[in-house]
Amino acid sequence: MAGFIVRRVLQMIPTLLGVILLVFFLFNAVGGDPAYILAGKMASAEDIANIRHQLGTDQPVYIQLEIFIRQIVTGNFGDSWATHESVAHIFKTRLTPSLILLIPMMIIETLTAVCLALLVSVLRGSFIDQSLMVISTVMMSISLLVYIIVGQYLFASMLGWFPVKGWSDSLWRDITVYAPLPILLGLMVSIAPSLRLYRTFILDEINQDYVRTARAKGLTETRVLFTHVLKNAAIPILTNLLMGLPGLLTGAFLLERFFAIPGIGREIILAVERSDFPIIKAATVYVAVATMLANLLADILYRYLDPRVNLK
Amino acid sequence: MINHLRQLVTKSSFFFLGIALYINAYPAHLKVFHLSMSAAETGFDPVMTSDLNTAAIEEQIFESLLTYDYLARPVKLVPRLAAQMPQITNQGKTWLFTLKKGVIFAPDPVFKNHRREVNAADVAYTIKRFMDPKNRSPYKFLVDHKIVGLNALADAAKKTGHFDYDAPVAGLEIVGPYQIRIHLTGTDYNFGHAMAQPMFGIVAREVIEAYHGDSASHPVGTGPYMLGEWIRSASMTLVKNPNYRHELWHFTSQDPLDQPLIKEMTGKPIPQIDKIDIQIVEESQSAYLSFLKGELDVLGVPGQFAPKVLSGDQLKPQLKRQGILLQRLVDPSIAYYFINVQDPMLGGMSLSRIALRRAILMALNDDEMIRVIYKGQAFREAFPIPEGVAGHDATYQSLINYNPREANDLLDKMGFRKDKDGYRLEVDGSPLYVKYTTSLTSQDRDLEEIMKKSLDRIGIRFVSEKLKFPEIIRAERSCRVAMRLSAWIADYPDGDNFMQLWYGPHTHENNASCYQDSEWDKIYEKSEALPNSPERDQLYRQLARLLEINGVTKVSTSHIRNVLIQPWVLGYKAHPILPSTWSYLDINSQGDHH
Repeated sequence: MAGFIVRRVLQMIPTLLGVILLVFFLFNAVGGDPAYILAGKMASAEDIANIRHQLGTDQPVYIQLEIFIRQIVTGNFGDSWATHESVAHIFKTRLTPSLILLIPMMIIETLTAVCLALLVSVLRGSFIDQSLMVISTVMMSISLLVYIIVGQYLFASMLGWFPVKGWSDSLWRDITVYAPLPILLGLMVSIAPSLRLYRTFILDEINQDYVRTARAKGLTETRVLFTHVLKNAAIPILTNLLMGLPGLLTGAFLLERFFAIPGIGREIILAVERSDFPIIKAATVYVAVATMLANLLADILYRYLDPRVNLK
Repeated sequence: MINHLRQLVTKSSFFFLGIALYINAYPAHLKVFHLSMSAAETGFDPVMTSDLNTAAIEEQIFESLLTYDYLARPVKLVPRLAAQMPQITNQGKTWLFTLKKGVIFAPDPVFKNHRREVNAADVAYTIKRFMDPKNRSPYKFLVDHKIVGLNALADAAKKTGHFDYDAPVAGLEIVGPYQIRIHLTGTDYNFGHAMAQPMFGIVAREVIEAYHGDSASHPVGTGPYMLGEWIRSASMTLVKNPNYRHELWHFTSQDPLDQPLIKEMTGKPIPQIDKIDIQIVEESQSAYLSFLKGELDVLGVPGQFAPKVLSGDQLKPQLKRQGILLQRLVDPSIAYYFINVQDPMLGGMSLSRIALRRAILMALNDDEMIRVIYKGQAFREAFPIPEGVAGHDATYQSLINYNPREANDLLDKMGFRKDKDGYRLEVDGSPLYVKYTTSLTSQDRDLEEIMKKSLDRIGIRFVSEKLKFPEIIRAERSCRVAMRLSAWIADYPDGDNFMQLWYGPHTHENNASCYQDSEWDKIYEKSEALPNSPERDQLYRQLARLLEINGVTKVSTSHIRNVLIQPWVLGYKAHPILPSTWSYLDINSQGDHH
């Protein structure tokens, strides 16, 4: 196991290098020159040159790349070009609101989708199964933007059940007052595809020989479902969940923007709009590393859940 | 036992009722003003500020030497930190500012419990900071090459990497603790406008140095408010500055519409509102719904919501019934088409090129633009200087009006014949097209459609080039943008701020049309040496006419700003220049509005 982990970590290095090169050259090719924005509308050529010099964008490409790699190694991405706030502080302060939204959303979505998937798998072909699948398809077909616009108008403005927007510095107030509506609207989009996917996983298991054997041995349907079927179906479910984890680092841009939540998604989009390269670099590297670690974790958990799997 | 219990319950009920009443009574006495901003702040060091939202907040925290009168229209400069208006001598080259005495900075640990008074050295330090290369100030242009000896200091800093704030500058002569005489390198009657910008809010050197590298997080000024809680990019509160001087609301106006407001506010101490709660709300729908729900006290109506809010130029009846008020004013800005005079296809000053450019400009349908893009919240403007800005000419008649037929006749006459597809060719038979540069917004997509339709009417091929905004600026400055609809909002309310957009030496800076005409430049330079006067207005008319004659520019529209105000807000009057006027407002605190 230890050897496997070491090998996988070593394999991450070339992958990360590839990501670094891709981001770096993409940004340099299409990222835009932030100096023209930072300089203001009445800047002289000299002012723009001065800003480029301070940002280091007037350096040869190989030196800029070297600085980028050094930043990754030291974990210090410097300051935002637009606001002078340190990138570390930006991630530290903006990640929490995003997690307050996304973690409950992920937990509720998984529990609801798994429970409903078990229900419709047991009742497959029935009216309930078909109705839920139709509803899921309809819900998946509607964009999150529509949910947000309608939901905000209906639940917050017309009915007044929630505030239209806002965020505070109190965790309790955020969880109980500001986060419920965005979470609810996010779930409307995310439950349906998970439900359909998990239903497929569970049906794959239900049709296996070992399930028939378990039933023939006289085990209750509950025992068959929860002990045998769910344990085996948990492997792809868990993989799907782990693959979604890096997404926590990119926040939920639309929800954050419409509900005025100071999350990381909003900050990353803002950075792209402003050509704020230090934030873009940090976000890309963090997500790449998180994705690779999630992959590794998925493989290790595979081994734990299914002893037949050999890690090589 | 029962009686004991009864007494205990009664007493404890009174106790808890008292606490509840106290807790609920506190907010009732606190006047809180709620508003939203459509973009995040960028930190609160005035010298680094470039965006209006940040400037609006800084306007309340810091104070510049001058400001604009709250009610006067057209806008008028008045003293703020200065005790009186500056003495201007030596043909506008020497400005003597006298500071108010006893103005104290807001409390901060840096002052170690001392009451720190503003003095003339603070003014000199504040101005010097704009030239420090490390500060990368977007508003440096307001003092760049304008103050005697200041640029020499900046040049030295570029060489040594260190800006010497202790070095004397001949142009910043400290006459006494409360007086500073500023010597300009040339005549500049607009220098007062520079000193009224929120970016020139006076700062204390020891604060900036104590928070070195993080001054944008520690704003300490002399304004009526100081920064309270701050969740970056999300929300912030401004709270009353306890050191703010005793100042009374005393504005006057001849406008009958202002009289109720004057009656309501005169004699009240500034500021009246205890706390300003600012939320960053990027989405128009969220802000609009919040306002309707009473969560916000004022709202600048986003363009796309104008049809929901207005019937013509009136507020919709359902909003009127809620007591909501509407204020409309003309933004001190213009939208204008420019054609690059150095473009290989459209550029040049030969008769056929000028005719081609004028025909293109004649084909552009401004009314359609106003209807589709601006939802009726704009109007046709012909003069390069908008309403409310010194030098504006309301009677100016443009030579270039929407007339596709005349444009077609002109092109036919000049020999731009059509090919089999109905599109025109160059006189020599080579392809002819207009490459139009836009950004990637949805509004720009609508604009492109209108542009294509307009050019199709005169048989000229339309080619679009989509760039990110920084790249558009870069291309403009390299004279690589053939044509574009651009916009300019007043940095200060004087015509010079607009006319400089076509000044030859500003090519590769703001002169995106890359127009270089010695005749035009001479007239412009003459106008620069004059104060706001009929003589200067006459020069401006000549400049505007030349731009049309040479087919360089067509001024398209000016925009209307609509502001919704809740009925409990007192003293509100929309100001065309000041980024914020919150310290002049009050809240009718009878009842909980939020």
